Amino acid sequence: MARINDMGGMEGLGPVPLGDQGDARPFQADWEARVFALSRVLIGELGLFTSDEFRDAIERMPPREYLGASYYERWLVGLETVLREKGILPDA
Amino acid sequence: MPEPAARPGGRFAPGDRVRVAAVDPDHHTRMPRYARGRAGTVERVLPACPLPDDRARGVPQPRVEPVYTVRFAAGDLWGAGTHTVTVDLWESYLESEGS
Amino acid sequence: MSGAHASLPIAARVRRLEERCIAAGLVDDARLDRTLERYLAAASPLNGARLAARAWADDAFRALLLDDARAALAELGLADRLRGREQLRVVANSAERHNVVVCTLCSCYPLSLLGPSPSWYKSEAYRARMVREPRAVLAEFGLELPPEVQVSVWDASAEARYMVLPRRPAGSEDRSEAELARLVTRNGLIGTATV
Repeated sequence: MARINDMGGMEGLGPVPLGDQGDARPFQADWEARVFALSRVLIGELGLFTSDEFRDAIERMPPREYLGASYYERWLVGLETVLREKGILPDA
Repeated sequence: MPEPAARPGGRFAPGDRVRVAAVDPDHHTRMPRYARGRAGTVERVLPACPLPDDRARGVPQPRVEPVYTVRFAAGDLWGAGTHTVTVDLWESYLESEGS
Repeated sequence: MSGAHASLPIAARVRRLEERCIAAGLVDDARLDRTLERYLAAASPLNGARLAARAWADDAFRALLLDDARAALAELGLADRLRGREQLRVVANSAERHNVVVCTLCSCYPLSLLGPSPSWYKSEAYRARMVREPRAVLAEFGLELPPEVQVSVWDASAEARYMVLPRRPAGSEDRSEAELARLVTRNGLIGTATV
């Protein structure tokens, strides 16, 4: 079953959005940094779930939702999904 | 989670021709669609790691397999292009292409 | 799949998740802050620039970096920039070959070594097109390669994280290692610039 994340070779996606090449900020918004930190603690430090389970959760996003979400939005959905599915946060 | 020891001595070595399995899994995998069924050459053997397909599904003892950096010619992937693409692929994603 | 909170503005939704994790006793704000600070202090393209500069200045280090990057990292005190099962593979540009890195499946990147990736690296267009038409994509970055240069695209699909060793710029023979490091850009370490 083809998953939306598996996009190597997909056509029609247009030019690469180069943005501000001089922008060296690690994160574009504070919430992105917080999602990053949360994932690092939950996965890397606490080992509550694996990075594979986290990626799997992201990949199961409906295609339209996946494409409409920014990178760290996908991470947020991934975290919510895995925490909910594993019963760690049942209403995440 | 304890993991079984890696299978000693992987199947493939640098220089071997391999073909990516022509499969269509319905689970998480790290085999890109564009490489399915394509033949390439092993460029490097990487340390054995647990199979993400198993880990994502919570398999208690995920298979631990060598990973191979496999180089493909653009022409073989897309029918066009002069570049090469290398992909890192777990052993069970690959079959021998023969000599 | 998503609950009512899915319609919250994103920052509020993130805060909600944090608060739920805190309430469940999994984390606290101090730990999250510490983790972020430690990460940002340790991970930066400057690490990659140091590796490149050392490789330009020292042939033995260059050989080690290309063959066993983990050992090379250890020499510079950067061994802890690989987490868990991550490995680093450094690939060298030459007169005959130009390398460029992508992760088509999810934008994997050597985060703990180089810091967060650029936004464009994570874009669908980059992930989709780099493996298929690298020269066209590189041209969008202003990088035009002569036809005799072979382009090698590396898709980081497993645990190896890739970094490009750019070619040493012409005329840099008398520069110190510190000065050489200042010539290296983040885009050069990904392959969307020559250095």
